[in-house]
Amino acid sequence: MSLLWDNIPFLLKGAYYTLLVTVVSMFFGLILGMIIAIARLKGNRPIRWLARFYVSIIRGTPAFVQLLIVYYGLVDYGITLGPLTAAFVALSINVSAYLSETFRGAIQSIPKGQTEAAYATGMTSWQALRRIIFPQAARVAIAPIGNTFIGMLKETTLVSVITVTELLRSAQLLVAQYYVYMPFYLGIAAMYWIMSTVFSAILESIEKRLSKVY
Amino acid sequence: MIQTMGLSKSFDGVEVLKSIDLHVAAQEIVVLLGPSGSGKSTLLRCLNGLEQLSGGSVEVNGVRVDSDMPVSRKKANFNEIRRNTGMVFQQFNLYPHRTVLGNVIESLLVVKKMQRKEAELIGMQMLERVGLTDKRDEYPSRLSGGQQQRVAIARALAMQPSIMLFDEPTSALDPELVGEVLEVMKQLAKEGMTMVVVTHEMKFARQVANRVVFMDGGVIVEEQHPDLFFSQPQSDRARKFLNQLSEH
Repeated sequence: MSLLWDNIPFLLKGAYYTLLVTVVSMFFGLILGMIIAIARLKGNRPIRWLARFYVSIIRGTPAFVQLLIVYYGLVDYGITLGPLTAAFVALSINVSAYLSETFRGAIQSIPKGQTEAAYATGMTSWQALRRIIFPQAARVAIAPIGNTFIGMLKETTLVSVITVTELLRSAQLLVAQYYVYMPFYLGIAAMYWIMSTVFSAILESIEKRLSKVY
Repeated sequence: MIQTMGLSKSFDGVEVLKSIDLHVAAQEIVVLLGPSGSGKSTLLRCLNGLEQLSGGSVEVNGVRVDSDMPVSRKKANFNEIRRNTGMVFQQFNLYPHRTVLGNVIESLLVVKKMQRKEAELIGMQMLERVGLTDKRDEYPSRLSGGQQQRVAIARALAMQPSIMLFDEPTSALDPELVGEVLEVMKQLAKEGMTMVVVTHEMKFARQVANRVVFMDGGVIVEEQHPDLFFSQPQSDRARKFLNQLSEH
């Protein structure tokens, strides 16, 4: 047990990278996901088709494979990304496909009359989306976005294979050094659990605040 | 003020409006009557482009939309038409995430790009017209149906439209709440607003309308002054329609 305590600073540094990869990938995933959702709902036929194809490919292939393609595969085409950058790129793309479906569902759940009322008072389709549909859709989407966020926190373990020293890889390095497994793996399990719990609490309070407004 | 020429509309190959020629003059109050499925709501929704035209044209306030114009041009022209045309819906369609005043001023802020102060001043005037100034900070879900519909009317009026379209404005209301909405509409009529109203309120049609347009099967069957329409309908279909109503 004291082995674990002695190495907490090292593990905390790993946790920092876990959080960094989670937050950065979610951030870009949300933006990209929103663009894809809008492309699917408002784009012309080729754009809609392209967005659908993107979602189908990304959701239909393992995140692990996507990560390997981005980090190792692209080297063949002269694109060399650092491990952290590759992690950001691969996970952002991966999560964007799932988030775009969340956004699409949330936007479609808002009654058509809302858009019509906005149009009838002279709003353009972009104004109606921004001022009338998005604020209402956000309330619907927040819970599934929270789930995706928690999922992402754990999905980041994947990037240990491309040598990003996040929490899992930190533990593996310690295991290799000391030849003991349990304290380190149990220790990081506890740290993942604590992070998930904290995020869940934060997300819950956001959800509550959003639903209180009306 | 409003002129449709050969206006037609199909849903999945079913023609619900067949070559409609409708003319509405300034300050006229036209009530569209007819059995359900006769196309009256669809016709109303074609006037401000909430339904795409399948054929013919619509002209409102000198802005014309032809069904064979390029899509972007149709969009732009209908947007221009909507800036001068208010619409009130059967289901109110208030924005649930905005307060009463927020609903009324939304398009003043977004479409007319007014400062909030100025918009709120106008918003309060509109709420006064419908008698709801004391509800300014409530959310729509806290209001009765009749109050919600009055807010919706205030929201449409805030844009200072020259024409108001009403799509069965009292059909979703409990009977005891119908009166307060009709009262507001009568007041508007008195002030000289041009109005096109789809309704089942025969008393309103009789008292307020300048003209009844009776539709059935996607065509205008007859147009009459309400006094004549209700006492001496010309067509069999209109007679049948009125008989069915009086049986209830």
